[in-house]
Amino acid sequence: MLKIEHLSKIYPNGTQALYDVSFEVEQGEFLAVIGLSGSGKSTLLRCINRLIEPTSGTITWNGVEITNASGKEIRMIRRQIGMIFQQFNLVKRSSVNTNVLTGRLGYVRTIPSLFHIFSKEDHARVKKTLEMVGLEDKIDVRADSLSGGQQQRVGIARALMQEPKMILADEPVASLDPVLAHSILKYLENLNKEYGITVLCSLHFLDLVHRYATRAIALKDGHLVFQGLPKEIDDVQFKEIYGKEAERIEVI
Amino acid sequence: MSADQQITKKPSSIEKIFPYTSILIPGMGQILGKRLWRGIAIFILTLLLSFLVQWSLTNYEIGLVGDPEGAFFSWMWIPFLLFYIWNISDAIKLSKNKKSSPLIAVISACVILYTIGWTVTGIKLDRLVTRFDDAKTVASRLVNPDVFSTYEGDKVVMCDWNCLGEYIRAKINRTEAPAVFPSINIKQIFGQQGTVTASRWAVFFGKATLNERVPGFETGKLVETIAIGLLATLFSTVLAIPVSFFGAHNIMKRVPGGSVIYYITRAFLNIVRAVDTVVWGLIVIVWVGLGSFAGVIALTIHSIAALGKLFSEEIEHIDSGPVEAIEAAGGNFFQVIRFGVVPQVIPSFLSFTLLRWDINMRSATVIGFVAGGGIGFFVLETIRMGGYNQYAAALWAIAVVIIIVDFISSKWRANILKDQPKTVEKTPTWKKVRTAIYILLGLAIFLYFWEITKIDLKRLFDPGPTFGRLLRDFITIDVSKNVVNNVVRELIITVMQALLATTLGGILAIPFSFLAAKNLTGKSKFSSWIFYGTRAVFNVLRSIEALLYVAIFVYWVGIGPFAGMLALTITTFALLGKLFSEAIENIDPGVIEATTATGANKLQTIMYAIVPQIVPPFLSYLIYQWDINIRMATIIGFAGGGGIGLMLSTYFGSLQYHKAGTVIVAIVLIVAVMDFTSAKIREKFV
Repeated sequence: MLKIEHLSKIYPNGTQALYDVSFEVEQGEFLAVIGLSGSGKSTLLRCINRLIEPTSGTITWNGVEITNASGKEIRMIRRQIGMIFQQFNLVKRSSVNTNVLTGRLGYVRTIPSLFHIFSKEDHARVKKTLEMVGLEDKIDVRADSLSGGQQQRVGIARALMQEPKMILADEPVASLDPVLAHSILKYLENLNKEYGITVLCSLHFLDLVHRYATRAIALKDGHLVFQGLPKEIDDVQFKEIYGKEAERIEVI
Repeated sequence: MSADQQITKKPSSIEKIFPYTSILIPGMGQILGKRLWRGIAIFILTLLLSFLVQWSLTNYEIGLVGDPEGAFFSWMWIPFLLFYIWNISDAIKLSKNKKSSPLIAVISACVILYTIGWTVTGIKLDRLVTRFDDAKTVASRLVNPDVFSTYEGDKVVMCDWNCLGEYIRAKINRTEAPAVFPSINIKQIFGQQGTVTASRWAVFFGKATLNERVPGFETGKLVETIAIGLLATLFSTVLAIPVSFFGAHNIMKRVPGGSVIYYITRAFLNIVRAVDTVVWGLIVIVWVGLGSFAGVIALTIHSIAALGKLFSEEIEHIDSGPVEAIEAAGGNFFQVIRFGVVPQVIPSFLSFTLLRWDINMRSATVIGFVAGGGIGFFVLETIRMGGYNQYAAALWAIAVVIIIVDFISSKWRANILKDQPKTVEKTPTWKKVRTAIYILLGLAIFLYFWEITKIDLKRLFDPGPTFGRLLRDFITIDVSKNVVNNVVRELIITVMQALLATTLGGILAIPFSFLAAKNLTGKSKFSSWIFYGTRAVFNVLRSIEALLYVAIFVYWVGIGPFAGMLALTITTFALLGKLFSEAIENIDPGVIEATTATGANKLQTIMYAIVPQIVPPFLSYLIYQWDINIRMATIIGFAGGGGIGLMLSTYFGSLQYHKAGTVIVAIVLIVAVMDFTSAKIREKFV
């Protein structure tokens, strides 16, 4: 269980991204994080694996307090949390194989990894995860020769290499067209249902939230303004989250 | 996939022996195995390495094992043999569709090349240490430029930092200060009141007679240099524009017989470009005599070729849509160019011209070494007289000017690149007035520069007495055995200088480039000082041409290729340092974030997120620098840096033009070959 209490983040330039955010996520949930651009979604997700240092508040996960973990401890925690990014964040010039293998870096010893030496099991694992995302024939291809949807699947494969208990997905489909968006989210849904991996996913479109999430939270200007089931987001709630001018739009 | 499998499954019996042809002819197996360029590269490298091993053994006794009178051989045949064996195993591996690492080949080739390079460029590391006192002397003079003078008794002496400090303290304390005034040296650099030859305007208006000495403002050597660089840029741009249309295939194919003109123009541009500005200077002084005018001509010739190539490539890359539209509207050939082509190329032409201005200003600082005008000639004189304080003042002055030029040029180019459309509003009057003032000012500067560089177009048609002979001798170049042997030796030294300088400068640049990358140094006060400090060092070192550095190293390690190599290393270090740090700044932070999120530690993050992103640009910049260094190495000899430049200036000096012609042909060939090679390498790896 992930428990976030009184989380606040103030950036060095003075902007406050999060104000006293508290919520809980049960193991196996698919939690959607919604809100406008700049509402603090990315900051929230990055505080959870401490890519960004929170200013105050605590985050505990399965009884371990993430917020005061040491350098080595945080790496141990990070390797159990997969992360997926809007811009995929693959090393474009490296092969799919190398990109996926980076998912193992938290598990292997440093010196061999610097010389690109990985165990047989890890290589087998690459094959397996690439099969799961349907890219087994692209293993030796350079990452930048893949389409956007394929690159995001490599991103998922990289996260799966970590054998994660939780996946943080930061706008995983915002750079993709609606059809691809569904295919990527189906992969996440599958991981969530079949393997019980907790998913925290920030999303733009409300009907994607309705379709995939088991629960949702909403941020507005760094404040937690909603917490509940996706279907509970009615028109009033919607205007509150997205502002008065907003209109509902639908994707396929 | 299936096509590949068919080929690999059933190789015919003849195809089975293909890889083994590499035993007889290196690279043959690779070529037959459809790896054409790999095969050709292996073949050429084998020839080259074997030639170098034998050549260096007989000429320099490099790698000698055994008794030179009796049985002897070179130990470098061992790495050569390794290379040869690798070639065979490579062919076999490739034929079985396995991966083949070129590591052994690269190591063996490097062992041979660097061993030979080390000896032929006369590297004597001990000199760096044993003559360290000389280095200290030079260093102390370099930081004490001759800028101010003072009196010591009746004698005028240089006012160093101590004296200046005293002067300033005295001024602050309002006590009597020693007399401090600009030195003669600095006046020569920046200009002074004195006597000048009467200007042509004065002669024209009857105020003076021809060649009469009248009181006036003597132009500073630095101002002359600026004039040379600016005028050469102006002339070459104006001339390169028409030339570039002849060198653009998409334009010339519209004209009958245009393709022939296209190929001739391109070939001509490439040949002219391969000869460095300074070498052009040697030819031009035979034509129009010594002086700034020769400098302007030499720079202009080389710039026309360089700009012509860039311009014509730009024309070839235009959007063909507007051209089609104007043709469809019934426009003729000239209308198509005027309305379809010109508007598309103006911004990039302007940007290239600005870049060229920057390059020309740098060339103008050294053209005086041979052509006798500008600050280069002044530097040459100060070195000859051992006046290192005066030399230092010139270097600092050059650095300031070049840094300013570099700044203006890059800012302006960045503005052009932004390419913002003009707002439709009417231009306000004050802007019109400002433009008019700029134009008048520009015109005045142009006329002034025209005057001080003594441009005399009539002289172009009245060449010097030996110019006819030079042209004749250049056609009937000397290819006798003796000359060719000498040229080959100097050429090898020159290439090795470039190789060692690129390697050494590159290695030195890597650690410093990390200090000069904003995204890595962070935002704390201390680290931003490091950032600005490193950047400043790069910029100052980069602003001075390698040719001007040679004098420092000649003083330190003696005349010869070693000094030249060290000078090249300095400029390489500075330019690569800057380019590397920019490459580091351009890396995608998202990848670092993603790698950190997997639980990777710092070292792993560097290896998996940073290194793969910076290796390709680093390689690409290394190759770029290699191209520059090859050109620079051919002229480094003019200042005592050894290599083929020294030979060239000797042949020119003794009027042995048909031998000089051989050298120039050799330079053109080597530069062309190296350009081609690096273009191929870049295509493959970067």
